[in-house]
Amino acid sequence: MRTINFTLNGEQVSAHVAEHQSIVEVLRDRFDLFGARESCAQGLCGCCTVLVDGTAVSGCLYLAAFADGKKVTTIEGLAQNGKLTPIQEAFLEAGAAQCGFCTPGFVLMAGQLLEAHPDPDDDEIRHYLSGNLCRCAAYPEIIAAVKLAAGRLRAGRT
Amino acid sequence: MTPFELAEPKSLKEAVGLLDADDPTIRPIAGGTALMLMMKAGVFRPSKLVSLGGIKELRSIAIANGELKVGATTPLAVLEHSDEVRNHAPVITRTLRTLSNIRVRNVATVGGALAHADPHMDLPPVLIALGARVVVQGKKGERTIPIADLFAGYYETVLAKDELIASLIVPAQNGRRAAYLKCTTRAVHDWPALGVAVSLATEGNGIKDVSIVVSAATETPRRLAGAEKAAQGASDEAGWRRAGEAAAEEAELITDAQGSAAYKKQLVRVHVARALRAALGAE
Repeated sequence: MRTINFTLNGEQVSAHVAEHQSIVEVLRDRFDLFGARESCAQGLCGCCTVLVDGTAVSGCLYLAAFADGKKVTTIEGLAQNGKLTPIQEAFLEAGAAQCGFCTPGFVLMAGQLLEAHPDPDDDEIRHYLSGNLCRCAAYPEIIAAVKLAAGRLRAGRT
Repeated sequence: MTPFELAEPKSLKEAVGLLDADDPTIRPIAGGTALMLMMKAGVFRPSKLVSLGGIKELRSIAIANGELKVGATTPLAVLEHSDEVRNHAPVITRTLRTLSNIRVRNVATVGGALAHADPHMDLPPVLIALGARVVVQGKKGERTIPIADLFAGYYETVLAKDELIASLIVPAQNGRRAAYLKCTTRAVHDWPALGVAVSLATEGNGIKDVSIVVSAATETPRRLAGAEKAAQGASDEAGWRRAGEAAAEEAELITDAQGSAAYKKQLVRVHVARALRAALGAE
């Protein structure tokens, strides 16, 4: 066992973890953050997506010990003072979820996409989201949500 | 996963010192994306993992003497977005775009993609075709191994248990062109049933000097000398097809969940011809 110190959604935290625990286990068991969830357990489905130092990783394949000293962001850390981000609002408006199980991963990956490509075409959206699976198959609505969010974010910047 | 110790050395020398030639339960871990799967499945139960993440000297991309040198713990995503890599060997950049997914590429490393020795991985056949080599650090010093000689079998390398891949070196390509094609049979994100990497020079309209490497369908990625000979001088569709026929005869194919050996034979026939055509049209 060891103590790790990291920034979690903007707050300095520490946790006593076993070396073999993944970050998604620690987020759920120690911090009651249930937005990232282990589904395929192989890094394929994207349900466990979290950001480490601003970069998306599969939380189910990432040792918690490796988060020591880093900045971890989960879906719960996006909204500020109860106000959703433009991407979250766009997902709601476009109806880009049915059961919602995969949605946190899609929202976080959409954020990575729009940071790198503010005006993505369909191919670029598919490329970024190809590692996320939605078993309700809300893909057309998800792509529409990303485009809606992209337009609003671009308008907000000018 | 079963519990294990985690050591976090700060230098390559310290890391090698923590490994043990006689203890296969002690292993290096870099990004860990592949090892985590093996540990979750219970097929690997380490006593100790030696994390390479804190060794700054292993994370670098540089061009020196016309060669591309990449530190072993450089994440695949960093390689994918590197201008040095794109200018030196654009086939690496193209290959990385379809390797697993963005999150895995953010974490998985170049050294891990070689040391893991899963024959279904995308980079090994490409790097063999490009004539690349690795610099390996052991307790008594370093040695250089061509990637064509690195793989001893299914998930097996020629590395001793107390050796570490320190860097990858891709030689100057001098205008050679290359392509990598893979075929997945169940879902796009699945491991490939076949990978084919080719690298070639041209003389007039014909192929002058070619490397043809198959992976995924074979126990280890390997060059096909007979197919390379058949491709020599080929300058048209009939020529690519002759090379594909030779490759299908020559490759020792295995049956697994991705398809039967007979099916993969047809995949080899078609994809070797396609890869030659793609390389001739590539940068």
